Parts: sequence; structure tokens; C-alpha cells
Amino acid sequence: MMEFDAQAWVGVAAFVGGGIAIGFGAIGAAIGEGYTAAVANLAVSRNPKLSGEIFKNMLVGQAVAESASIFALVVAILLLFMDRGNATMLKAAALLGAGLSMGFGAIGSGIGAGFPAGQACLGLSRQPAAATRLTTNMLIGSAVCQTPAIFSLVVAFILLFMDFSAAPFNPTWAALIGAGLSTGLAAIGSGFGGGMAAGSSCEGVARQPETIGNVTTIMLVGQAVAQTPAIFGLLVSFILIFKVFPETTQIQTAMALLGAGLCTGFGGIGPGLGNGMAAEGAVRWVARNLPSAADLMRIMLVGQAVSQSTAIYALVVSLVLIFVV
Amino acid sequence: MGDLGRIHQLIISVGGQKLTFNLEVILMTWIVIAVLLIFGVMMTRQRGVLPHSMQVLGELFVGQFYQLTEDAVGKEYVEKYAPLICSVFMFVVFSNLLGIFPHLEEPTKDLNTPLSLGIMGFVIAHYAGIRSKGFKAYAKEYFQPVFFMMPLNVIGELAKIISISFRLFGNIMGGSIIILVVSYLCYSIVLPPFLLAFFGIFVGTVQAFVFTMLTLVYISIQVK
Amino acid sequence: MAIEGADIVKAAAFLGAGISMGLGAIGPGVGEGMTAAKACEAIGKNPAEAGLLTRTMLVGQAVAESTGIYSLVIALLLLFVV
Repeated sequence: MMEFDAQAWVGVAAFVGGGIAIGFGAIGAAIGEGYTAAVANLAVSRNPKLSGEIFKNMLVGQAVAESASIFALVVAILLLFMDRGNATMLKAAALLGAGLSMGFGAIGSGIGAGFPAGQACLGLSRQPAAATRLTTNMLIGSAVCQTPAIFSLVVAFILLFMDFSAAPFNPTWAALIGAGLSTGLAAIGSGFGGGMAAGSSCEGVARQPETIGNVTTIMLVGQAVAQTPAIFGLLVSFILIFKVFPETTQIQTAMALLGAGLCTGFGGIGPGLGNGMAAEGAVRWVARNLPSAADLMRIMLVGQAVSQSTAIYALVVSLVLIFVV
Repeated sequence: MGDLGRIHQLIISVGGQKLTFNLEVILMTWIVIAVLLIFGVMMTRQRGVLPHSMQVLGELFVGQFYQLTEDAVGKEYVEKYAPLICSVFMFVVFSNLLGIFPHLEEPTKDLNTPLSLGIMGFVIAHYAGIRSKGFKAYAKEYFQPVFFMMPLNVIGELAKIISISFRLFGNIMGGSIIILVVSYLCYSIVLPPFLLAFFGIFVGTVQAFVFTMLTLVYISIQVK
Repeated sequence: MAIEGADIVKAAAFLGAGISMGLGAIGPGVGEGMTAAKACEAIGKNPAEAGLLTRTMLVGQAVAESTGIYSLVIALLLLFVV
């Protein structure tokens, strides 16, 4: 049954995957850029003389926030137009996985990158003298926000271009879809959380421009820790893609692999968001109370480590699902 | 597009075990080491009270990182860890920037390099922890808050290696994949130079800083 | 392939374990993050009480963690007992 219509199924998967990739992938950037524009309007109303500066800053910030959905667009175009060749049924699962990974993965980074851009516009209206520092801080913050989307892109490209024709169909299809879901879902929380930290750092720099060194450092550390759940998702995806699973006729192995992907994927959303909130609080108060920066960094890391523990439980359950059962 | 992920490997069998060497990565790492040595010699040559331009650059750089290290680990450990932090940053940043030159590739694009740097930082951090607190106090921390959390605490510590090395690897790898694919789609005319500037220079430097700061933070958590 | 009832039960248990731990991790993650953010705010306002605030934060987070532990327990039960 599978032999003669495999080609059609691969086409279906490519088109559905492409739709998911750009459909979901567009959500984040649209919300993020909308937020930026809204806050930029607020900023112009506060300080209409600076409207040119604020407008320029808004466009630069939106351009960076847009990149996550541009990644999604590239993946969607490749899914629609790439040469599918003489593909097997497994390729269909891989293409669907690629679409899922990139589509979900672009949501968080798109929304997140809107926060620093908006706060930088607002900061410009308050503190026009710090314009250069604000733009630098905004660019660093929103570039680091893109990391989870870049992870999803890596997974999507591996799924698009790797040759799976030698692998057995039954458990591997679930592994490939699970790989897409794992990185894609886990990237939502990390991207969003990293954006919250970057937003409050722009606000802090506008309030106290001379604290920029400490604020940017603690923002980077906070964002990096907030990305850890997305990295767990990437790790599980790599294991699911590159491990060779023996052929089986049972459905339970396939469900275990799909469950592993879902587990790390969903499990990464909360800790990513929570770590971002912790980083946001720490960054905001470093800008207001510079002498206790070391204390704040310590408590941020301790709080993030505890909040991360549920992501580690999810990783453990995923690894048990992959390797033990 | 076919050369995505293709690497030259040298496989030597020693006593039944196969040793695999990724030749390009080793070569690129040597290039980075050579560049670093040249920079080091240029900065420290003809040192004087009235510094020449390279010496100013070097002093600014070293001073900055000594300050960062002091903020993190406190005054008593600066002399011990600042040289390590400086060299980690210099190695990673030069590795990430190597890709902007034609025919050269970032050694950090291969998972082996970030992973070994991550393991190095992990071992140093834990050794520093045992040295400064004593083994008993160090081991006791794994049984916090309750003793049966020990396995999860150990996994949490090991997960740090994964997170620090995959973060660097994923960013550099993702950047080079995007440049490759966009060049393929639009025939290398308009976008790739900007993408190269963004991913090669900007993201490469930021990620090198993040990697260094996390190594420093892991050490500072252990020594305090 | 012939699929039997026991197979489907096992498959559902595995999928359920994954979803249980995955969704169960969202709440504690966000909640503990909020706690940490507020603790940072409190330390920023009153740095002298850093030790007390850290302890309070850890106790609060440990309580918020309990639902995550329940999910872990249920996931492990689904994996190994059912």
C-alpha cells in the first residue's frame, strides 16, 4: 500500500509542513513588531521632537525581530519548491517535522525580540543622550533572543536534507516528528523569556546609562541560562535524529519516541519563561541598585537553577523514553 | 548544498580501536592558536612605560577581563582565574571570527571543540570548588535540599556541560547554515555579506562573551 | 501490522508519560521564575536582608516545585508500573 503513493504523501507532508512553518512562524514576529510599534508611538507622544530618531530605532529593532519569521519563510519556501526526488514515506515524516520545528520555534523569538526594541524606543524619548548605548544594548539583546529560533532552523535543515532512506519506517517516523516538536516547542519559552530580560535591560540603560556594562553582562548571562531548555530540546532532537532505531512492528516504541519529543518540548516552555522572568527582575534591579549587582546575579542564578529543575525532569523522562523503554 | 555537514576525516586504527580525527577542525584550531601566539608576541614585545599601540590594546583587554573576573569571584581569586578567562575568550572569539575569511571555517562549528572547552570549564570549576570548600562541604551540596535529590542534582550539574557547549555550537552552526542556504537561494549577490557581518562578527563575538561569562559564573558558584 | 489491546495501552502509557511531564513542567517553571524575579526586586530594594530573602525564595520555590514532582512521579509510574 505504501509503495505507490509514497510520493504523494511526501508532497502532502511538504505542503502541510510549509504551511505550519510560516503560519505559526509568523505569529511571533507580528506580535513582537506590533508591540514595538505601539511603544514607539507612546515614545513619540512623550517626546515628539525626537520622532525621527525613534522611528529609525523602531525600524532597526523590527528588522531584527523579523528575522525569526524570515527563517520560517526560508524553510517554507524550501519545503514548497525543493526537489523531493524519489522519496520514501520516511521523508514525509521528516518534512513534517521540519515544518513543526521551524513553525513553533519562531514564535518565542519573534515575540521576545519585540520587547527590547520597544523599550529602546521608549528609552530614547526619556534619555536622548544615551541613544548609542541604547541601540547597542537593544541589538545585542535581540540578537541573543534569536538563538532558540536558530536552533529550530538547524533542526529543520537537518530534517530537510538528511538522507533517511536506509532507516526502518516504523519507529523512525515518530522519532523525526518528535525531533521537530522537541526543539520547536522548547524554543517558545526560551525566546520569550530572553526577550523579557532584554526588554528590561533596555529600560534600565535608559534610566541609568552609566550602568550599561553591568546591565548588559547580567542580561547576557540571564538570557543564556534562559536558553538552556531550548538546548535540552536541541539535544533530544539530535538524539532522535541520529540514533539508529531497530525495526519493529509494535506501536509502543513509536509512541515512546513521540512522547520523548513532546516531553522535552512542552517541558521547556515553562522553565524558559520562568528563567526569563528571573533575569528580567535581576536586570531591572541591577540598573536601579548597582552596588548589589553581585548579590542580584547570585540570586538570579540560584532562582534560575531551581526553576530549571523541571526542565531537567522532563529531559530525564525523555531520555528514559528513548533509551530504556 | 551537498557539502552540508561533509567533513574530511582521518581514521587510524590502533590496537583494534578506531581513532577518528576531523582534519579540517584540527587545522583550523592550529590556525587560531598561531594567530593568538602572534597577537600575544606583538602585544608584549618592547613593553614600556609609554605603551605602543598594540600594548594599549592588550592592556585594555586584559584590564577589562580582570575587572569582570574580580566582580564575579572576588579579590582573592582574581590572579588565579583571570588568565584562564582571558584565554578562553580569546580562543573562542578568534575561532568564531575565522569563518569570515574565505576558505577558512570556524573550529567551533564542530561539536567537538565547544564540548571539550565546556568539559574543561566544568572540571576546572569543580576542582576549584573542592579546593576552596574542602571535599566534605562540596559533596554535601549535592544532597540539598533533601538527600534523595542527589541523582537529579548530579544530572543538573552534567546538563551544564551540554547547555554551555550546545549553545555555542548551535549558534555558529546555525549561522553558517543560514549563510550557505541564502547564498544558494539568491546567488550570493545581495544578502550574504550582511548575513556574514551579522552572524560572523556580531553573533560570534556575543556568543564568545556568553561562553566566557558562563565559564566564569560556574567557577564563581563553586568557589563561593 | 497486528495491533493488540495491550500494545495500545502500553503505547498510550508512554505517550501519556511524555505529555504528563512535559505539560507538568510548565507551571512550576513559570511560578518559580516569578518567585525569583520578586526576590531580585526585594534584594534590590533591601540588600541588607539578602540571606533571609534567599532562604524565603528557596522555600517558596520548593513548594511550587511540588506539582512538578507529582508530574515526574506520575510519568515514572506510567513508564515502569502500568
